[in-house]
Parts: sequence; C-alpha cells; structure tokens
Amino acid sequence: MSEFVIQTRGLVKEYRGRKAVDQLNLEIKHGEIYGFLGPNGAGKTTTIRMLLGLVKPTKGAIRILGKDLQKEKLSILGKVGSLVEYPSYYGHLNATENLEAIRRILDAPKSRIAEVLDIVSLTKEAKRPVKGFSLGMKQRLGIASALLGNPELLILDEPTNGLDPSGIQEIRELIKTMPEQHGITVLVSSHLLSEVELMATKVGIIREGRMVFQDTIERLRRQAETGIRLSVSAPEQALAAAQEKGYDGVIDGAFLNFTKLHNKDVAVLVRHLVENHHDIYRVEEQKKSLEEIFMRIVGEGAAS
Amino acid sequence: MMVRALSADFLKIRGRGIWLLAIIGPLGIIALQAINFGIRYDYLTKLYAKDLWGGLLENIAGFVPLTLFLGFTLVCSLIANVEYQTSSWKQLLALPISRTAVFSSKFALTVIVLLMSCVLLTLGTIGLGLALKFDAPIPYMDIAKLGFYPFLAALPMLALQLWLSISFRNQGLGVSIGILCSVFSSFTWKAQDWMPLKWPILAYEGDNPLQFVMIGLICGIAVLLAGVVHFARKDVD
Repeated sequence: MSEFVIQTRGLVKEYRGRKAVDQLNLEIKHGEIYGFLGPNGAGKTTTIRMLLGLVKPTKGAIRILGKDLQKEKLSILGKVGSLVEYPSYYGHLNATENLEAIRRILDAPKSRIAEVLDIVSLTKEAKRPVKGFSLGMKQRLGIASALLGNPELLILDEPTNGLDPSGIQEIRELIKTMPEQHGITVLVSSHLLSEVELMATKVGIIREGRMVFQDTIERLRRQAETGIRLSVSAPEQALAAAQEKGYDGVIDGAFLNFTKLHNKDVAVLVRHLVENHHDIYRVEEQKKSLEEIFMRIVGEGAAS
Repeated sequence: MMVRALSADFLKIRGRGIWLLAIIGPLGIIALQAINFGIRYDYLTKLYAKDLWGGLLENIAGFVPLTLFLGFTLVCSLIANVEYQTSSWKQLLALPISRTAVFSSKFALTVIVLLMSCVLLTLGTIGLGLALKFDAPIPYMDIAKLGFYPFLAALPMLALQLWLSISFRNQGLGVSIGILCSVFSSFTWKAQDWMPLKWPILAYEGDNPLQFVMIGLICGIAVLLAGVVHFARKDVD
C-alpha cells in the first residue's frame, strides 16, 4: 500500500480536444491539509470531480486510500466526504432532514446527525428550512454532510467561495481541526492563496491544467526570497562595477536590484561601489509576499 | 442499495406536490365523468341502458392515456428537479452508491407514485358508479383492468420520460415532449398498433389487452436499462 491518501498519475481530461487537466500528478499524504490552488478555470474543479468519480478521466490513474478508483469506486467513496463548489441542499427540507436524506444512503447511525450538526455549530438551526440559511450556514451544512459518513478523507472544493471574512475564518478554523481531532486528511481547493496559506501544510498550484508547484508551504515561503535594492547615482556604471565583483543585478530605473545576497555580500558590494565613487542614496530590503510568488508561479507556469 | 436510495428519495419529495399531483390526476378524470353523467344523466343512462358500468368505463377510458402521459411528464420532471434545483446530483453521486441504484430508485419512485394514482382511479370509478346508483353488479375485473393495464402498457414511455428529465438539466425539453405525447395519445385510434402511444388504450380496448401489457413491461424494462447504462457513464457537471 502506498503512503499517499490521494495519488494521481498522468491524469488527463479532455473536453472536445481541449485539455482541462493535463498530466496531473497529485500526491497527498495522510494527515495533511493540502491546499489545491489555481486561478478560476485552471482545472481544479475538473480534477476534484475526477477524484470523486463524477467525471471520467480521459487518461491516467487515480489511487485513493491505496485503492484504484476505477475498480473500487464505491468502497473508496464510502470513506470520502465531499463538498463540490456551491453547496448542494434540498431547500424545502430542514437541516436535519437534509442530513437524513444522505444518512439513509450512507446507512450511518442516526446519532451521527446530531454529532455533525454540533461539529459545524448548526444544532440550533437544525429545524429551519435550509432555503432560509445564509450562504455560510449552507456551506457549513455541506461540510456536515461531508462528515456524516465518518470519512478518512475530506475533499472540499472552494468551501469559502462567496463567504464574508468571518464566514471564511469559521470554515478555516473548522478545517484546521480535522486532522488533529478527527484524523481526517483534507484536500481544499481555492483560487486565493491567502485563504489556504493559514491552514494548509502542503500546496499544489495548478495552471491551465498542469501542476506548476507542489510542495510544503514552507518551501513556498522560502521562495519568498529577499532582495536588496540600491538607489545609486549612475546605475549602469554601478552595475558594471558590481559585476566586477561577481554580483549580477538588474537595473530598474534609478535602482539596482540584487537577489540572493547575504549580509556580508551586501557589505562588500556597498564598500566596492563607494570605493569606486558611486553615491549610494538608499539600501533597501525587498521581500516578496507569498501572494506575489503565487502570482508569479501562476503567471509564468507555462515555462516551468 | 436501491432500498436505501429509495428511502432517501421518499424523504426528498416531501412537500414538493408530487403526491398531490398523483391524487389530482385520477380524481380529475372521475370529476369530469361525474359532471358528464350528472348533467346528461337521463340521456347517458338510456344510451348505455344495457351496460351502465361499461358505458362509464368507456367514457373514463377516453381520458386515461392523456392523463397518464401528462402525469408521467410532470412527476418525472418534478422528481428530477429535486436534484437539479440546487445541483444535488454531484453530492448524491459522490456518495457510496451505484448510479444504477440511483436511477432505478428514481424509476421505482415514479412507478410507486403512479401506481397510487391507478389505485385511486380504480376506487374512484367504483365510487362514482355507486354514487350514480347504477343498478347492475359491479364489474370489478374490468374496472381494475382500466385502472392498471394502460399504465403497465405505457411503462416504456415512463422510462423514456424519466431519462429525458434526468439527462437534461433544462426540463423544458422533457416537458414539451411529454405534452406532445399526451396530445397525440388522444388521437391514436387511427395510428398503427406498434406506436407506443397507442398501447395504453390497446391494453384496455384492444382485442388482446394482456399482450400489450406484456409488451409494455418488456419494453419498459429495456428502455429503463438503456437509461441506466447512459446515466452510469455520463459525466456529472
């Protein structure tokens, strides 16, 4: 048995000749909260639909919880809870009845309904028709439905889409408790890094159907490398002088930008420039935010 | 597995007017005949003097195919719409249940709802005859035949209608086709016997009603299986 909870190999989905998902290799380990990121239309939802057996892959293999999805779909789905895009619910039924409709299919114990309502803090609203719920409450009910069958894996597609900040935070806190308190591995997709970075332990970034980054969030942060920006009197000559010392920078207007400089390098570089009679007006540290890195990865993805 | 799906389906159609529809259909036919016989009591009782019950059944039979097809259309559309309204198909089909069970359960649900209409039509016919004080023994067999045979002969159309309603998010298509079928079913006396739209009436008034009941059952199962196969392979968006 593989150590991965979800593992896909060369996953492809074509719609009328257009590849919505292309050669995707997802790898999600037990106990992770995996943030599945990408701009709208990058193929996140298509991938998730394939993981749930809603859509058939054109090519490639999917293994979930160590089993082949194609061969053992029902036994896998029994251990997976899901929420795909906007919440599904039966508006004319109340929260308990909605869960009961799903419980009857799962054949879970009746007591589980009260438990999941409690987990998502909807116990008080249990008897109200769901059509009167706010989007956040519907989304929480969706998560309750996903938890009903005591899943080992939770697949949540854009669970915070359309929610207000407090709703987003509520869902986030809820998701964070899953691995610790319930031993559930979580795959959560989003088009916003900021939503995922506070809960995910690992991220996969997809662009135009291809995976362009897949690693821990720390690795992604490390890419948020610092740069040094110098404001100098004559940038071109200063750059030539810097290159003599082996520091390659980039001219940006009246500024010189350097990356991967240690403190010592900065000292050497500045001294060298001063000794060569360059006026230095400013030495700035520049730090790229995760968001910028995300945008860069998403933007240049095709090249990598 | 199908029993679990069916029990969930019964819960889901609560308060959606599906049961009400199943009651209105047969009661509508009975009410029409109550008016017909009420207004023209003397004329009709003279016309059918030899066989009062037969006369009543003949009048009712004229409305059965139309009502059946209209009922199929609306019940199938309402049942499919329960899942379409808030895109619940994706949630339902991501549960550990086979698509065959999901589709078959919906079919079983429509059959159960419509069988209830058949029972009501049968009881309603007896009730109306008694209310009209027909002075003849009640022909229970003939009344039950009218209540159930046309429905059984129309099963292929029910399976087709359900497939249309479930396969296409736009219920307009299924409903339009269903209404067209209902209208044409009223003019089938001129049509060839192989036309499925004519089977309900042949299963009551034809020379060999039981033959069309059997054909209806066999073709119904065939169309259902075709629907199941398609549904099981289809991508869910």
